[in-house]
Amino acid sequence: MTSDATPLDQRQRGSLRLAALLAAAVGATALLGRSADPAAQPLPPASAPDGALTLGAVIALTGNANLYGQDQRLGIGLAERWAADRARRDPASFPRPVRLSLEDGASDEQSAIAAFQLMLRRGVVALIGPTLSQQAFAADPIAQRRGVPVVAPSNTAKGIPQIGHFISRVSAQSSVIAPLSIEEALQRDPTLRRVAVFYAQDDAYSTAEVAIFKQALTAKGLRPLSVQRTLLGQNDFQSAITAVLPQRPELVVISAQAVDGGNLIRQLRELGYRGQIVVGNGLNTPNIYPICQRWCDGVLIAQAYSPDLDTPVNRAFLALYRQSGARGAPPQITAQAWAAYQVLFEAIQRLQRRGGLQGVTLAEARRRLMTELLSGRYDTPLGPIRFTPDGEVIQGRFFVAEVRMAPGGRDGKFTLVRERSLKGVGG
Amino acid sequence: MIDNGLLVQMLLGALLGLSVYLPLAAGQLSLATPAFYAIGGTLAALLSTRWALLGGGADGSLPLPSLLLELLLAALLTGVLAALVGGLVLRLRGIYLAIATIALVEIVRVAILNLPFTGGAVGIFGIPQPFADASGYLLPVLGLLILAGWLCQRLEALPLGQAMAAVRDDELAAECLGIDTTQVKLSAFVLSAVLAGSTGVLAAHFLNTWNARQGTFDVSVATLAFVILGGSRTWLGPVFGGMLLTALPELLRPVGDARLVLFGLVILLGPVLAPQGLITPALLERLGSLGRGAGR
Amino acid sequence: MMESLLQTLLNGAATGGVYALVALGYTLIFSVLGVINFAQGALFSLGGYATYLLMGGRIGVNGAWPGLGLPVALPFTLALLVAALVTALASLLVERLAFAPLRRRGAEPLQSLITSLGAGVVLVNLLQILMGAEGYAFPAGAEALAGLPDMLILAGARIRTIQVLLLAICAGAVVLLSLWLERSRSGKALRAVAEDFTTARLLGIDSDAMVRLAFALSGVLAGLGGGLVGLSVSLTGPYFGISYGLKGLAVLVLGGLGSVPGAIAGGLLMGLAEALVPADASGWREALAFAILFAVLLLRPGGLLGRIQPDKV
Repeated sequence: MTSDATPLDQRQRGSLRLAALLAAAVGATALLGRSADPAAQPLPPASAPDGALTLGAVIALTGNANLYGQDQRLGIGLAERWAADRARRDPASFPRPVRLSLEDGASDEQSAIAAFQLMLRRGVVALIGPTLSQQAFAADPIAQRRGVPVVAPSNTAKGIPQIGHFISRVSAQSSVIAPLSIEEALQRDPTLRRVAVFYAQDDAYSTAEVAIFKQALTAKGLRPLSVQRTLLGQNDFQSAITAVLPQRPELVVISAQAVDGGNLIRQLRELGYRGQIVVGNGLNTPNIYPICQRWCDGVLIAQAYSPDLDTPVNRAFLALYRQSGARGAPPQITAQAWAAYQVLFEAIQRLQRRGGLQGVTLAEARRRLMTELLSGRYDTPLGPIRFTPDGEVIQGRFFVAEVRMAPGGRDGKFTLVRERSLKGVGG
Repeated sequence: MIDNGLLVQMLLGALLGLSVYLPLAAGQLSLATPAFYAIGGTLAALLSTRWALLGGGADGSLPLPSLLLELLLAALLTGVLAALVGGLVLRLRGIYLAIATIALVEIVRVAILNLPFTGGAVGIFGIPQPFADASGYLLPVLGLLILAGWLCQRLEALPLGQAMAAVRDDELAAECLGIDTTQVKLSAFVLSAVLAGSTGVLAAHFLNTWNARQGTFDVSVATLAFVILGGSRTWLGPVFGGMLLTALPELLRPVGDARLVLFGLVILLGPVLAPQGLITPALLERLGSLGRGAGR
Repeated sequence: MMESLLQTLLNGAATGGVYALVALGYTLIFSVLGVINFAQGALFSLGGYATYLLMGGRIGVNGAWPGLGLPVALPFTLALLVAALVTALASLLVERLAFAPLRRRGAEPLQSLITSLGAGVVLVNLLQILMGAEGYAFPAGAEALAGLPDMLILAGARIRTIQVLLLAICAGAVVLLSLWLERSRSGKALRAVAEDFTTARLLGIDSDAMVRLAFALSGVLAGLGGGLVGLSVSLTGPYFGISYGLKGLAVLVLGGLGSVPGAIAGGLLMGLAEALVPADASGWREALAFAILFAVLLLRPGGLLGRIQPDKV
């Protein structure tokens, strides 16, 4: 029988068959995808060949947050070397080997979710990351539901540790740090009255931080003459600046990221602004030097980390940092990434020494690790830190620094101007 | 290794691909899909976090009927908006229509970013979950995809589908034949918007968080790539394209730093090596005639 | 009041000049091929990095070979010109890989939208692998403006000197291009091809060569733009060209696809419109550009100065 089916019929039949094939493939993948959750498996003993615990790190290596991700990767890598070194020299104090698994979380929510799920399948005992607060809101609930500890090295938005018991961070809230730089500016010029504020209104972090800045200004009896809203991707601020300059501000407060903030500073100076400039945490990185160059000089910033802190662990951090080939001083975000690795590593070792990792499943190990993590005290490059029961970091020492550029305007340093101890912070 | 979370994302990609395909099947290059996707997602995020009636629990759960209600409302909203906007925009042809829809996407994105109740730069987070884990989402997403696929499958045989094909081939000729081309184009545009909005609802819940950056020009271009690479002549094309291109960056993880370069190469060489995309009508015809006339 | 009007005009002109440059790059290709080259933004970035390396810049710590650089250290102007040539070559490569195979086959123009996008993704990510994501300042950038003050004041309105330079060079490039299109032989040939591909070929004009010429020229424009912007705001990462790409697209359509004076007028208009947005509503500025675009498309579908091709039956 010759086939007298029209092409339409053939196509219809063909697509039906192909669709059926696809549906079957999807069904099969779905079944396969429900792979055995490693959480139920027993934890091998420390001395076993597969006894190393895996610490997962999800950071932004691609996309527009990759600048921060690069610095974080370095910090985590240096901490891993340092930890491995200590373990080699004193195996009794560091009985449990730890392995690092790093994945790119890109700069969007979907990639962070995918990376987290990849890590969970790999059976990590805890997670470091993700880079952006935005990503944390999307991906952290997944870790929380599965009972995996997450230590955020750079999420400073409000509400992150409150996502759940397993979510914590080593990056201090901007509400604590930001006012310190305003105080410093006022100390230098107690008579200043006219303030202008710029912030990147499409950046979640800057929007939250500028509210803190405004609160701090109000607390000092200052009301901004003008609040200019900029955009993250913006690099020409001529309009905003020329709108503000005729009002002759004496202090400019900027809450933005490194690149746009850097250009804003440069253009403010080029267009003739001579007053003080205070910046937020987004500009707390040497990445601003190539952008604002010699015009970066004199910018004030409050920091959670200072390279000038003279403690043994910070000295070790600085030594390893220089060995890695990086020039200048390490940025805060690198120090915080180191701290995230350090606290997890030390908590694991303490737990192991106490026998808390003996004969438990992975799921139970994660739970115990979280409890151990929250109860410890740690001597990090950031200074001594510990956690609230909520997972919020308690850090007593903060720093106000001023940017001093080297002649030539290529290199600079966040020079420590004042150390501030905040007692009673977080209890 | 494709886990269920990635599978859900792949299926969402397939849905978005279908949404871009529908106007294209009527000859209209509309890149408006991300705008309606964003609107659907924002609606779901707002309703489930602000409207107590929906029962978004303190433990972050959401009853299933509420999800269905959100889908219905999103379909309604995007459908009406598409009907209004489509009337204006579909008078344009070719690249002008494409750019007008790109403009639309940007305007919607900025609106969501700036309106006081949509969460601004932070967006809306802590969106209640109708399902405890990713596997649960497979059901509604697959369901929506099957529904959409069935519709497209039937479309080819229905008068509307044939009218769309006629308009695609030659709009002037179709008009001369008495086809109400405006109606046809509008129908395709509205269907595409409804599909995109519904996908947005499911995506918002799946991602836990929603913000203005979910619907951007990048998404326009990416979803267009789904259709072009997958095959723009049949509905299975965008489905395959969407699933493949969504999975690809994840599957390329072992390659490390170069994975996006490889991804770009796939998009660069795809149309060159497979001009009609992966799934072509010829392929379907061959599949359809298998087992017949084999004894000839 | 006079001050602020002039200030606004200056603010608008500065950004508008760059927009016009980017739009011109698109226009050239659109006029001969009827397609948009989505790799244009990536070429912009390439121009910036090429200028940096040619000025003696070294690859940073996060790049593929930290500390490596080219064995030359050219002054800015020379580096800019050479970078423009390099970008032109890259543009030709894009044409060869992403456009030519499809054109030979008579494929839908839609396909080359996608392939050029792929080319753009590949280029930007190669740049990232090579140079890392950090910011770069041009090594001897300050020397380019040696002796000049940081800003100029015209009747009370301020403008950064570097913006004036940018505007001047953009204007110069645009004028040169327009003259060349008007007067020179190949310029007229290019316009003929833009008018009607087949007829031009029948008249003996090598259409393929004209296409390549269009790509080369648009590459030169992208290279110049990238280098100039890099001088003004430093290289802020491999993606910096992409945002200009999108805005340039809007300007392109605003001024009328395929129209050179339209691209210029559109660019300046867009810059001015953005400068006029008051500070409080600055969040809506992005939407403004596209809302204007939307309105123009609905009222004057061919753009401000473009011509709609009537459908030939």
